[in-house]
Amino acid sequence: MDIVPQLIANSIIAGSIYTILALGFNLSFSTGKFIDMGYGVMMVIGGYAVFYLSKILGLPLPVGILLGLVISGLVSYLAYTVVYKPLRARKASGAVLLIASLGVLTALQAVIAILFTSQFQTLSGLLSGNRVFEIFGGAITAVQLTTLALGIFLFVILAVILKYTMCGKAVTAISDDEEVSKIVGINTEKIIGSVFFISGVIGGLGGMLIGFDTGIEPIMGLPWLLSAVTAVIIGGIGNVYGSIAGGFLLAFAENFGIWQIPGEWKSAITFGILILFLLFRPRGLFPK
Amino acid sequence: MEYFIHLAILVGIYAILALSLNLAVGYTGILSVTHAAFFGIGAYATAILMTRYSVNFFFAIIVGAVVTGVISLLIGRVLSKFRGDYVALGAVGFNMIVWSIFLNWQELTRGPLGIPGIHRPELSIGNMEYSFTSNISFLLLTSVFLLLVYLVCRHITESSFGRALKAIREDEEALAVFGYRTLYYKLAVFVVGAMLASVAGALFASYITFIDPSTFMVSESIFILSSIILGGLASNKGAIIGAVVLILLPEFLRFVGFPSDIAAQTRQAVYGLMLILLMLYRPQGLVGEYKL
Repeated sequence: MDIVPQLIANSIIAGSIYTILALGFNLSFSTGKFIDMGYGVMMVIGGYAVFYLSKILGLPLPVGILLGLVISGLVSYLAYTVVYKPLRARKASGAVLLIASLGVLTALQAVIAILFTSQFQTLSGLLSGNRVFEIFGGAITAVQLTTLALGIFLFVILAVILKYTMCGKAVTAISDDEEVSKIVGINTEKIIGSVFFISGVIGGLGGMLIGFDTGIEPIMGLPWLLSAVTAVIIGGIGNVYGSIAGGFLLAFAENFGIWQIPGEWKSAITFGILILFLLFRPRGLFPK
Repeated sequence: MEYFIHLAILVGIYAILALSLNLAVGYTGILSVTHAAFFGIGAYATAILMTRYSVNFFFAIIVGAVVTGVISLLIGRVLSKFRGDYVALGAVGFNMIVWSIFLNWQELTRGPLGIPGIHRPELSIGNMEYSFTSNISFLLLTSVFLLLVYLVCRHITESSFGRALKAIREDEEALAVFGYRTLYYKLAVFVVGAMLASVAGALFASYITFIDPSTFMVSESIFILSSIILGGLASNKGAIIGAVVLILLPEFLRFVGFPSDIAAQTRQAVYGLMLILLMLYRPQGLVGEYKL
C-alpha cells in the first residue's frame, strides 16, 4: 500500500486545524502583545459546550455549535476584561500577563474536569454518519473535509475583514502601534475586547472540530495551544497569511517526520521545530 | 502521625524544588517553566541506576546531578538566545520534549509503565550499615538535604555573584557594559538550579519507590513556579513558605470530604485562581522582593 497519499491527506487535515487555531492565537497575540496561554482552554470550552448542549441536553447540533461558539467567545472576553485588561492598564510586563494567563488555563481546565470528569469524550456520535471519501488513494472523512473548508473560509474572511473594514483596519493599527492608534481616536480597549471575543470563538471552533474528528479531554488545551503557537511563530507573528503557511508547514513536518520514526515522537518533533524557529528565525518565515 | 511525616517529606522535597527554581526565576529573572524536566531527570537517573545497576543512592544522586547539569547546560544555552517572553515558551517546549522522552524511550525508562521497586537509601560506613526505610529516618535525610540546599542558595544569593545576578535581572545590558559576562552568570545559575532540582528528584524517586512520566509534566513546572510566586520571588524564605502552603493547602480539601479525583481538580483550580489573583493584586507574593 502506498502511504504517501495518506500522509499528504493527514497533513492537510492537521494543517487546517492548526491554521484555524493559529488564526485565533495570532489575532489576540498581535493586538494584546502577550503570550495568552488561556487561549488553550477556549478550545476545551468550545468542545465541551457542544458535548454538554447537544449530547447531554439533546439540543439540535447547529444550536449547540452556535451557542458553544458564543460561550467560548464570551469566556475569552471575560478573561480579557477581568484579568488582562487591568494588568495591561497598569503596564504589567509580558511575564506577568503570561503567568496570569497560565492561571486562567489551569483554573478553567480544572473546572471543566470537575464538571465533566477528566475522561476522554467523543463528539462524533452526534453526526449522522461520518462518510469516508477516497481522494487520490488517501482516506478523508466528511468532518475532515469540513475542517479544511472552514479553515480556508476563516482565513479568507479574516484577511478580507482586516484589509477592507474599518474595524479590521483598527485591529491592524493597534497591532502596529497601540499608543498612536489611541491618539488618532481608535477606541483601543473596545477593539481589543472584541478581538479577544473573536479569538475565543475561533479557538472554540477549533476545539469542536478536534472533538468531531478525534475527541476532547480537559487537558488537551496546552498541547494544542503550543502547536498553534508553533504554527504562528513559523509563519510570522501578526501575519494572517503566515498562519496558514505555518499551520500547513508544521502539519507536513510532523506527519512526514513520523513516516520515518515512531508516531509517539510527534509532539517532540513539534517542540523541536518550535525551538529551532525560536533560535534561528524568531520572526518567522514571513515577518510582518 | 505517619501522615504528617509523609506531608513533611513532601514539603521538604518541594521546598528544594522551589529554592532551586527561585535562583533562576526570582534572582536572575529567567522565566523558566521547565523545572519539572530537571526534577524528572534526577528522579529517572537515580531510579535507573539503583534498580538496574544496584548503585548506592548517594552515588546515584551525584551521577544524576551531573547528568542533569550537562543537559541543563545545553537547554540553558539555547534558552539564553531567546528574547523576552519567548524564554518561557521555549522552556515549556523543552519540558514537553523531556517528558516525551520519559514516555517514549521505553528501553531506558519503561515508558508509561514507570519504574517500580526503587530502594530507600542505604548508608554504609565501615562495618556500620544503615537503611532509611522508616519514614521518620527519611524525613531526617530530607531535612539534611533541604538544609544543605538552603545554605547553598543563601550562599549564592548573598555573595557578590548573587548581587551580579540581581543586577542582570534589573538591567542586563548595563551590567554587560561594566564588563560582566552576563551569559556565563545566567548559565551558571541555571545549571546550579537544575542540579539542585535533580537532588529533589532523587529523594522523590527513593521515597515514593515508584516513578512514571506523569509526575514530570508541564503542569508540575507550573506548580513549582506557583509556589515561588506565592511565597515571593527572590526570597529564599519565601520559596519555602510557598512550598509549605501549596503542599498543605490541598490536604484541607481532603478533610472537607471531597472525593479524590475532584479534590485533585479543585487543587488545580485553586492554583490557577491563586496565580491570577497574585498577578492582579500582589505580584511580589507573600514576602518577595521582586515584582515580575
